Amino acid sequence: MSQRQSYAVGTGLFIVLGFAALGYLATQTTSVANTSRGPSYTVEAHFANIGQLKERAPVKVAGVRIGQVQSIVLDPGKETADVKLSIDQRYNQIPDDSVATIFTSGLLGDQYVGVQYGHSKNPVAAGGTLALTRPAQQLEEMLGKFFGAGGVADNLSGSYLVKARFSNIGALSVGAPVKMAGVAIGSVQSIQADPVKLDAEVTLAIDKKYSQIPDDSAAAVFTSGLIGTQYVAIQPGGSPDMLKNGDEMVLTQSAMQIEDLIGKFLVSGSSTDAKKDADNGKAGAGDKH
Amino acid sequence: MRRDNIVLRSLAQIGDCALFLLRILAAIPRSLRHVRETVRQLWFVGAMSLIIIMVCGLFVGMVLGLQLYDVLSIFGGTSATGTVVAIAIYRELGPVVTALLFAGRAGTSITAEIGLMRATDQIAAMEMMAVDPIAYVAVPRFLAGVIAMPLLCCVFCALGIFGGHLVGVSWLGIDNGTFWSNMTASVELVKDVINGVLWKSVVFGTVVSLIAVFQGYTTPPTSEGVAYATTRTVVASSIAILALDFVLTAFLM
Repeated sequence: MSQRQSYAVGTGLFIVLGFAALGYLATQTTSVANTSRGPSYTVEAHFANIGQLKERAPVKVAGVRIGQVQSIVLDPGKETADVKLSIDQRYNQIPDDSVATIFTSGLLGDQYVGVQYGHSKNPVAAGGTLALTRPAQQLEEMLGKFFGAGGVADNLSGSYLVKARFSNIGALSVGAPVKMAGVAIGSVQSIQADPVKLDAEVTLAIDKKYSQIPDDSAAAVFTSGLIGTQYVAIQPGGSPDMLKNGDEMVLTQSAMQIEDLIGKFLVSGSSTDAKKDADNGKAGAGDKH
Repeated sequence: MRRDNIVLRSLAQIGDCALFLLRILAAIPRSLRHVRETVRQLWFVGAMSLIIIMVCGLFVGMVLGLQLYDVLSIFGGTSATGTVVAIAIYRELGPVVTALLFAGRAGTSITAEIGLMRATDQIAAMEMMAVDPIAYVAVPRFLAGVIAMPLLCCVFCALGIFGGHLVGVSWLGIDNGTFWSNMTASVELVKDVINGVLWKSVVFGTVVSLIAVFQGYTTPPTSEGVAYATTRTVVASSIAILALDFVLTAFLM
């Protein structure tokens, strides 16, 4: 009997331990741990773009968590996301002109709603709306701004199309910037392989503002930096006639392949070295005399 | 039916196994009289497996932490170590490794025990005494395996997280708060813990216990037969676990 009892106790302990582990996993290591407890009130905010914001994402003021995202629905009839924020009751003094912004924690982190206080004397009421919002920053847009290339869609209304043929475009991709004197003036609209001429036909969408580009200008595929993205550089010519919509640029320079460059460098480098050595030798000999 | 073809033999085994499962399920109400026997088996297959499960869970978590830290540091993303350790353990390593260990630790002993009962005519003796051997021998061990496996898996996962924390935070110096907050931000209750840990481990527990009990119950009553049956338990369980893992993952994703 006592042996049976010890089985029962040990088994009971085992079951308790198992369920304790389950409870620990479920409540301490999952998003359940982020669920706020205690009374809260709901505030609405409308965003033009929520990016990757998820339900139960934190709501923060000055980096401190004050609540969480309760629900995200698309406003019917409008192109805005209706985000309901559930905020702890003790933070009920948020000015009603505060700005709700969607931030990203770190480069790869999750997104959260940051609230920056305004100056209004009236706190936002339960069920109220934060009128001022800033949408999530899309990485693509930021990169686009950074590299100076508007997306293809941005240019469609106010741009004209020019074709250029390259025997090799390297890693040039659609949407890559078109630059003149280092300034972005358009973007690559499409890239197609020509089945007859066996080269690449690249269509450039150039902003209408820059309509004074001579038609004998040259297009070249360059790389920004050593490992940067590739872009099309336009080197202006001297012709009095200007490029028009549908024109083709005759002078082009293909992408440099790193293999070609290294090949050239090795060959020419060795030859110049040899020459230099010969010169040095001569000079040395001359000095001696 | 001639059973010389390996395909036919395997199919026959699977069919016999399925019929045996039905016999076990049908015998569950009758075995309620033997609750104490089930508790005793739960002690043997569950509580006695705790040590190996805990030690293995700890080391799996530790090695995951180490490897992930190394890889993630290439991208400067070491703060995601906790997240990836938790997701890897919950979704795959926890249920699968626990089930493999469970098959090796508990499945073999079930098969050997029942096989030896069969070889020494104890099962025949029970039938003579009008004791249903399915209800008294097979069902308690089967039920004990089904109950013990999810519990063991939870313990394994908890120790795995602890091991990852030990290496990541205490040794390699990831910030403690970052470790936990990134984990709680990305790990979801239903998708990871319920679907990953619980469902998979219940299915694996059922399959491993069924195979172990079936192999023991149908073993040829010789010492050689018991040896083969024990080996087959481990081989068949391992294949079933890994194959079912893929199928379950596809369904639960």
